[in-house]
Amino acid sequence: MIGIDNISKRFGSYAALNDISLDVRSGEFLALLGPSGSGKTTLLRIIAGLEFPDEGQVSFNGEDVTGLKVADRKVGFVFQHYALFKHMTVAQNVAFGLSVRSRRQRPPKAQIRARAEELLQLVQLGGLGGRYPAQLSGGQRQRVALARALAVEPQLLLLDEPFGALDAKVRKDLRRWLRHLHGQMGLTTIFVTHDQEEALELADRVVVMDHGVIEQVGTPEEIYMKPSSGFVSDFVGETNSLPVSVVAGRPQFFDRAIDVEVAPAGDGPARLDFRPHDVSVCGEGAGCLPVLVTGVYRRGGDWRIEGEVAGVDKPLEIDMSAASSPPQIGQRLGLRINRGMLFAEGVQQ
Amino acid sequence: MHRENSRPAARYGLIAVAVLFLALFLVLPLAAVFGEALSKGATAFGSAVTEPDALAAIRLTLLVAGISVPLNIVFGIAAAWAIAKFDFPGKSLLISFIDLPFSVSPVVAGLIYVLLFGAQGWLGPWLRAHDIEIIFAVPGILLATIFVTFPFVARELIPLMSEQGRDDEEASLSLGASGFQTFWRVTLPNIRWGLLYGVLLCNARAMGEFGAVSVVSGHLRGITNTMPLHVEILYNEYNFVAAFAVASLLALLALVTLVLKSIVEWRFDYHRGGAGH
Repeated sequence: MIGIDNISKRFGSYAALNDISLDVRSGEFLALLGPSGSGKTTLLRIIAGLEFPDEGQVSFNGEDVTGLKVADRKVGFVFQHYALFKHMTVAQNVAFGLSVRSRRQRPPKAQIRARAEELLQLVQLGGLGGRYPAQLSGGQRQRVALARALAVEPQLLLLDEPFGALDAKVRKDLRRWLRHLHGQMGLTTIFVTHDQEEALELADRVVVMDHGVIEQVGTPEEIYMKPSSGFVSDFVGETNSLPVSVVAGRPQFFDRAIDVEVAPAGDGPARLDFRPHDVSVCGEGAGCLPVLVTGVYRRGGDWRIEGEVAGVDKPLEIDMSAASSPPQIGQRLGLRINRGMLFAEGVQQ
Repeated sequence: MHRENSRPAARYGLIAVAVLFLALFLVLPLAAVFGEALSKGATAFGSAVTEPDALAAIRLTLLVAGISVPLNIVFGIAAAWAIAKFDFPGKSLLISFIDLPFSVSPVVAGLIYVLLFGAQGWLGPWLRAHDIEIIFAVPGILLATIFVTFPFVARELIPLMSEQGRDDEEASLSLGASGFQTFWRVTLPNIRWGLLYGVLLCNARAMGEFGAVSVVSGHLRGITNTMPLHVEILYNEYNFVAAFAVASLLALLALVTLVLKSIVEWRFDYHRGGAGH
């Protein structure tokens, strides 16, 4: 288990991490999710020992490793741009971690070679050991970097934006494969991403970060369904926002009570967030939200409706089943919000 | 493509100007040097470059280059490493200092050392008291040469190492390599062509430097004369054949450097191009 206790890190006057605490369970697949500048990569590099915190402690299995250098932490680190050694062949790259060991700990040459080939088989690049990194595609390079990191048999695998530099199709394939590999090897894996879809699809738990602090830690389900702040709701998944005021625990939009299932909140100004698919059409009745349809297009199996609500700047986005016929542009609809989330206005970013 | 082909006259005109210029200012003088050196036959040439003073000058030049170039490799790599891979206060000042020898006249560089170590200089009395000779001796020539050639290696490596970033080194360290292994097996191979290029330029300058060395050498024949200084003395003595014979050796060095430089540039480009994304 990895413990991160009250870590702070500044770069000059810029606070990259502000009193971060987090426990990572053994065997877990954990995503650090956040926009650029949120501190997620700094946190990953501190766990690796490539960066050192100004304050706080990092421990592996209860043992304090805060002062240990990266070489002594037994971690595998995969860089965003792979950082393959371009003057070495793929096999030499993979074997690097074994070949730099001191003579007493170093396996014999033939064994190193066999191990490199074995790892290349594992990442489905068997037989390509003689090539140079420049002769490989982006996805292949990524897998070489992974094999190289796995060669030193790390307890912990750290990946910095592992799919950032790849095109969409390769990214999707590699994601599944990595998830599979994680399960197969029984590693603890932490990866950094700014792509919420990637985090939700891959991770056992997601850590959402912003401005050097952790906004929320939870399973993808919890993060998506029960975001703890306006920022998380906005950053993870698609969200519509209505400015409301809470009166007696119920949201009101310009004096109109909104009939919505929400966890009750304290009275005062607030933000009502809801997902595009959490709405249904209702009549003109009380509790329905009047919307002017300004755009309709197909999005997979749904109609995506764009609509304007008086008093809200950003158009709403609503999904409706494509089984029904779509509304027309210019039509007025009454919307019922089936499920929403209330955030007191002070929390909003 | 279209533009290149649409105006052949302009293109050939420019090429002609460039070739003519090169012929007039480079090829012709170079040919004159070799022509004059061999004007009294190969025997005169041979005796001119093998007489004791000439041999002493060649030996001194090789000695100075042999010491200053390795030192500047070490300084250059250290400085480039520090500048390219770390942030520290005074970094831009350090870069300016590295450029100083390029912006200062070599004569001034020589005078700085006379001012410091000369008989009337700041440290002169102390040096004389301890029987240490620097000015008008080999150490002075060495110092002046190191000063003048300092920027070549560092200047070549700084942009290269900045571009490469720290990822490769961090990857190597994360795989358990020591600092020395990382330098030897990752950093050095990454910069080898740029380094070789810098070394060639540094060496050519170390052997060919005149101004700074002239100030501190004292022109003692057979003792403190490097090849360029020896050429000047012979020339001033109207010993043209001998002067041009020694000069032709320097010119030969320039040509060899040029060829090696082209080969290195070609390899360098190949590696950069081949290793790109």
